[in-house]
Amino acid sequence: MRVAVEQKVLNENQRLAGDLRQRFRHHDVFCLNLISSPGSGKTALLERTLEAMPKDTRVAVLTGDIQTENDARRLEHAGFPVRQITTGGTCHLDAKMITKALADWDLGWIDILFIENVGNLVCPSSYDLGEHAKIVLLSVTEGDDKPLKYPGIFTKSELCVINKIDLLPYVPFDIAAARDNARKVHPGMDLLEVSCTTRQGLEEWLAWIYRRQRKTAGVLAGP
Amino acid sequence: MHELGIAQSILDRMKEESIRHRGARATKVGVRIGELSGVDPDALSFGFQALSKDTPLEGATLEIDFRRRMQRCCACGCQFETAAMLTACPECGSQNTICIAGDELDIVFIELEDAACA
Repeated sequence: MRVAVEQKVLNENQRLAGDLRQRFRHHDVFCLNLISSPGSGKTALLERTLEAMPKDTRVAVLTGDIQTENDARRLEHAGFPVRQITTGGTCHLDAKMITKALADWDLGWIDILFIENVGNLVCPSSYDLGEHAKIVLLSVTEGDDKPLKYPGIFTKSELCVINKIDLLPYVPFDIAAARDNARKVHPGMDLLEVSCTTRQGLEEWLAWIYRRQRKTAGVLAGP
Repeated sequence: MHELGIAQSILDRMKEESIRHRGARATKVGVRIGELSGVDPDALSFGFQALSKDTPLEGATLEIDFRRRMQRCCACGCQFETAAMLTACPECGSQNTICIAGDELDIVFIELEDAACA
């Protein structure tokens, strides 16, 4: 006997992500999910981002790692609420972990929520966290063909941030090829180039965040 | 690396279906996996076998329907199946195309042995 099922394998994750999205909408929380390989600079980008935000900005961070509270400690310096999620071996964050981490936070206080995923370009792409946009980071010490090797995450991300551009003179990374490869995999993808060391490109990055936040708010407000 | 968790979700769904049909053994499950889903079919099959060993689901078949990426051309409107990284329109050559399918990760059907007569 064959029973037609037709449902997502990650049905439960989808359900929880849907609940999160609804809560974000209810409280006007704008949520971004940052994904990259380990060491591409997600934490450094968030450090620079938090430093640059006015102190009265209502921003918070959830940061995922397999072990250690190191990233949360780094990010706490800016004075905004930060919570570490240690997955204990799991290679990605899922909607249940986010739900649990947010349980005692007042979402009414948060305008922007950054989620720093576990360093991995494959598994995080399968798990919806209720975010408004996924952002993929690629650093110039990696291969410029990474978008071709990991098309899933580059297709699902609205923006690709190319980080560590201050190192371009010292590495064989072809930035034009990286841009081409990203757009081959995801035509129309937004691209930004930054250095968290020299702070080059950070203004454009902040402008992208605020523009995207306004777009979400506009959609929420309706016509 | 997360294929084990995915395999467990599939097995859980089979168990659930089995209970719904008075304990009839689930013998086969059909899943649809898009090439952008981030799931490797071989790793999933391995996880499925490893996790079902020594359980009532041992020996059940995992049938994988692997789907290529589908794009729609914004210029001429045609839809085409393609490899992950070749997104230009084969009809009109436009680079302006959008992804419309290829990240599937779905359970399509479950087959069960006929339940023993009560």
